[in-house]
Amino acid sequence: MKNKSIARVCDELLLHIQCDFVGYAFQDRIGPNIRWLVAAGNRNDKYKRITVRYGKGIAGRVISTDRPMMIADFPNNILGKALEYPIMLAENLLHSYAVPIHLNGIAKGVLLVGERKNKRIFEEEQQKSVQKAAIKIEELMNTHLDEDRW
Amino acid sequence: MESLPSRNQISSYIIQSQEEEIKRIALELHEGVGQTLYSVFTGFQFLETSVEGDSLKGYIHEMGELLEKTIQEVRLLAVELHPPTLTTLGFIPALKSYLKLYTSTYGILVDFINDGTESRLPEHHRMTLFRVCQEALVNIAKYADSLQIEINVVWKSDCLEILVKDFGKGFDVDKEVQQSAGIAAMIERMKIIGGNCIISSVIGEGTVIKLFLPLQS
Ligand SMILES: Nc1ncnc2c1ncn2[C@@H]1O[C@H](COP(=O)(O)OP(=O)(O)O)[C@@H](O)[C@H]1O
Ligand SMILES: [Mg+2]
Repeated sequence: MKNKSIARVCDELLLHIQCDFVGYAFQDRIGPNIRWLVAAGNRNDKYKRITVRYGKGIAGRVISTDRPMMIADFPNNILGKALEYPIMLAENLLHSYAVPIHLNGIAKGVLLVGERKNKRIFEEEQQKSVQKAAIKIEELMNTHLDEDRW
Repeated sequence: MESLPSRNQISSYIIQSQEEEIKRIALELHEGVGQTLYSVFTGFQFLETSVEGDSLKGYIHEMGELLEKTIQEVRLLAVELHPPTLTTLGFIPALKSYLKLYTSTYGILVDFINDGTESRLPEHHRMTLFRVCQEALVNIAKYADSLQIEINVVWKSDCLEILVKDFGKGFDVDKEVQQSAGIAAMIERMKIIGGNCIISSVIGEGTVIKLFLPLQS
């Protein structure tokens, strides 16, 4: 139910900023694992099997630092090894931008957008749209708080 | 006149001392840092149940979760560096635990078949087999763009054969062998333990890596 509403937000974001991929990951209700729960524009279902490694790659780092992060021209100019960026590898992304998703003020998830071809990197206008979508997801989360989370 | 050590012996020595160091770090992460963090984590759980006040309870709960994630990551890091089971239980259990981590990290499905039972191998042979498979798997995650892969291990009476097959992009093997260290190192490492490594690849179809190691009976 809730993931369906979030999926709609992701679909809209994909159309709105004209990017190739949108993914949403969130921490399990019990335990430390963070998984990709929703994707739009995905080219395979690898994301469903990926558990985000805390503090690693773009998603893991966005959650551990509670800050947005941009990757331009992957795998050039990255922190660490290309191997630490599974979602970039799985979806063959060249650029990506990700923001944290909070629950009760704490970063527990991530909303990520990506481009595959050599298009322009994510500009401020698009970054703002991603942040807006993230807020929408956080609101959805709060309205569905009474539901069993997954 | 004393003869100088051979190139093989020197490479072997360099590899082994590096492996010893990696193993030491992995063990320290697993048994040292990991254990200590775990003790702190159980302490936090105890605190959470004993303190009064929702905001303090919530704060301690969050700290506990942070510790739990860190413990998890430390454990996974140790498995990538040197799975503890490689020394104790053997090559197959270590490979299996790495494959589990591999699928959950990269989303690539592994169809694993182990045919026969593992014969006792010297530790540095197990280490070499593990590292060469790991390099093959890492290359697949990085370059192949394959949804699924196959690994077949066959224990025969006089030899061991391992096949790692992907269904991805493929590449020009002859060219890469000349200029890339990773693939050259796989071949070299198998040679050092008296085995070999054959790589074949077809652009657009995928890559097959075949490892072969004679076994003493
Ligand atoms: N399974 C594979 N599928 C497609 N290409 C591969 C595969 N394995 C290796 N390659 C290609 O061979 C090159 C060399 O690999 P390697 O020697 O391991 O170097 P490195 O991993 O450091 O780039 C890679 O850059 C890649 O282009
Ligand atoms: Mg390599």
